[in-house]
Amino acid sequence: MNKKEILKLAKGFRGRAKNCIRIARERVEKALQYSYRDRRNKKRDMRSLWIQSINAGTRQHGVNYGNFMHGLMKENIQLNRKVLSEISMHEPYSFRALVDISRNAFPGNKNVVLPTRKADVSINV
Amino acid sequence: MASSATFSTLVLSSSFATQCNVSNRHHQSCFLSSPPKIPIFSIPKPVSLKLTSLLSKTPTFFTIPKSSESDAAVVDVEPDNVEPEPEPEAAPEPEPEPEPASVVEASKEEPKREEIFAVVMIGGRQYIVFPGRYLYTQRLKGANVNDKIVLNKVLLVGTKTTTYIGKPVVTNAAVHAVVEEQGLNPKVVVFKYKKKKNYRRNIGHRQPNTRIRITGITGYQDYPAVTLES
Repeated sequence: MNKKEILKLAKGFRGRAKNCIRIARERVEKALQYSYRDRRNKKRDMRSLWIQSINAGTRQHGVNYGNFMHGLMKENIQLNRKVLSEISMHEPYSFRALVDISRNAFPGNKNVVLPTRKADVSINV
Repeated sequence: MASSATFSTLVLSSSFATQCNVSNRHHQSCFLSSPPKIPIFSIPKPVSLKLTSLLSKTPTFFTIPKSSESDAAVVDVEPDNVEPEPEPEAAPEPEPEPEPASVVEASKEEPKREEIFAVVMIGGRQYIVFPGRYLYTQRLKGANVNDKIVLNKVLLVGTKTTTYIGKPVVTNAAVHAVVEEQGLNPKVVVFKYKKKKNYRRNIGHRQPNTRIRITGITGYQDYPAVTLES
């Protein structure tokens, strides 16, 4: 890459790294290496995020993530975690239906206590 | 806030209008169907705020901004029965094409859109689709522009009152779509470097993609459904 392209990629960098070609070249190379690595990491991070959000959604209905996925696998429902997390956020009724299916398929959650909502517990009676 | 939101959606609309010749209301909602690299439902904040202000009496089925856009489209239906230039290859449902000048009214002139969504698997990935929106998928070989496409791997169909959950597929369900464009993703720079070994490779890459617009979801009615009593 020539100098002009490097300095264009170095926009927003700190100090002399955005102005002086010798320093910018190093920083830009490092930035491109990071972007290569992070394109792979992003897939892992997103999956972890989806799992967390599915976990939160199912725990509201008294089922934890592991049992929920076990139930879905038993029922041969092949929705992936991305779509499940979107459904848990935006389509609460459909998600409730999925949780019920999973609960019936894998009865590992009969004794789970639903978390009490803070709004229900009043301090000043 | 609302004015800036309108401006941002106008900017989106105008940037797409030159390419597609489709009316602006599609492009307000189109931004949600994204290329694979960006999280699907990344809506810029102003857009979502604008549309939640439009929702006054809609039930909570589509609560969040992404879905509320389609709901806003349904709410603002009323008087739009004008069909100046229906595209011959367009969806069966009547979709009028207002002139580019009437941008502000376009948001209020949505045709009646069914409140339904489906989860469909294309190219090994799953997407949540709504009728009338577009999305970018992997390049479909052998599909030319303005081809009608039927997607058969429908994993879940949801309407306002019922959900049809497929095990794994909802039988006989089909999502109809039209291929709009076969293009390329934005360029990513693949830069490989090993330190102290004099090894560096600089490669640019543009992944081919296909933009398809969803026209309808059919064929799910005879499947055992889960109905809510709300």
